[in-house]
Amino acid sequence: MVAAVRWLKENSLSLAFLLLFLLAVGGQAVAGLLQFNDRQVAQGAEPVSLTHYVTSSSFAVDVAENWQSEYLQFFLFIMLTVWLVQKGSPESKKPQDAGPESDEEQRIGPYAGPGSPAWARVKGARLWVYSNSLGLVMGAIFLLSWLAQSVAGQAAYNAERLGDLRDPVTYGAYVTSPEFWNRSLQNWQSELLAVLSMAVLSIYLRQRGSPESKPVGAAHTATGVEG
Amino acid sequence: MRMPLIVLALALCAAACAVDTASPARAAEHFSAALITHQEDTACRMLARRTAEKLPDSGQSCADALRELALAPGGAVTAVSVWGDEAQVRLSGDTLFLHRFTDGWRIRAAGCEPNGDLPYVCEVED
Repeated sequence: MVAAVRWLKENSLSLAFLLLFLLAVGGQAVAGLLQFNDRQVAQGAEPVSLTHYVTSSSFAVDVAENWQSEYLQFFLFIMLTVWLVQKGSPESKKPQDAGPESDEEQRIGPYAGPGSPAWARVKGARLWVYSNSLGLVMGAIFLLSWLAQSVAGQAAYNAERLGDLRDPVTYGAYVTSPEFWNRSLQNWQSELLAVLSMAVLSIYLRQRGSPESKPVGAAHTATGVEG
Repeated sequence: MRMPLIVLALALCAAACAVDTASPARAAEHFSAALITHQEDTACRMLARRTAEKLPDSGQSCADALRELALAPGGAVTAVSVWGDEAQVRLSGDTLFLHRFTDGWRIRAAGCEPNGDLPYVCEVED
């Protein structure tokens, strides 16, 4: 019992976000279904079930378009903060640390400690893969989600076009269409603005106790300091 | 990685899994055959409800309206496109738009002519 409570406490951040994610995606499914059925009835079609809706291209494109932008945001944030800095931001390294850093600083190869992951101790391809694994996985999920958005988006768009008595479009025509790029860019702009806000506002503003903020008393010029 | 893969699979499936083109093609052929053999009542029963309601002028039956329109013979199926619950069936002499209802595919529009990238201009539509 004590061990279970400790496990819950030690993983409370991930668990809280998992729960919030499930509630949000469930809410999206229900709200999306109601909106979808409202349109169905208005067009003389029949309302569909929740199962039908959550396996439809309409739901898939709405989910995937948000996922790809979130993973793009984190991918860019992870990769760009290797080289680019923001003086005064806790999200940034100190200007002199810009770049991939030395093996000693990264505790790899001969500098690996007793608790270092196995692939941090080896050389060659495995070390390179592990050294870039976070960016690679985030980038891969972004690309997969974007691909999913394009495939589901074409299906949803073509269903809509047929409903409007228009010809469906090819995949090539869809991924160069205003519909696809509007869906992509409207999500990207908000994610990029959120990162910009976080990088800049955290120079001057504080949240006591949060590791995403500098300590309340830290100087505005202090960079890479987390509270 | 599991959830994104599930969404990818769902998205791909939503787009391509088990797309049944035979059923709408069959519905379009039956509709066309009913018109050729002057079974307008049968053809009317294959229309989507809203299309069937909108078709006749006041005092006219659906069958009368179809008879009066005298749509060109549909002919053989040349192409079928199915996306979600919507389908377009091209016959050698006509283009039809169909919707999948719980009781099967029904004709939403027939006697359709392309109009560039704008909606087809149809003699029968909802």
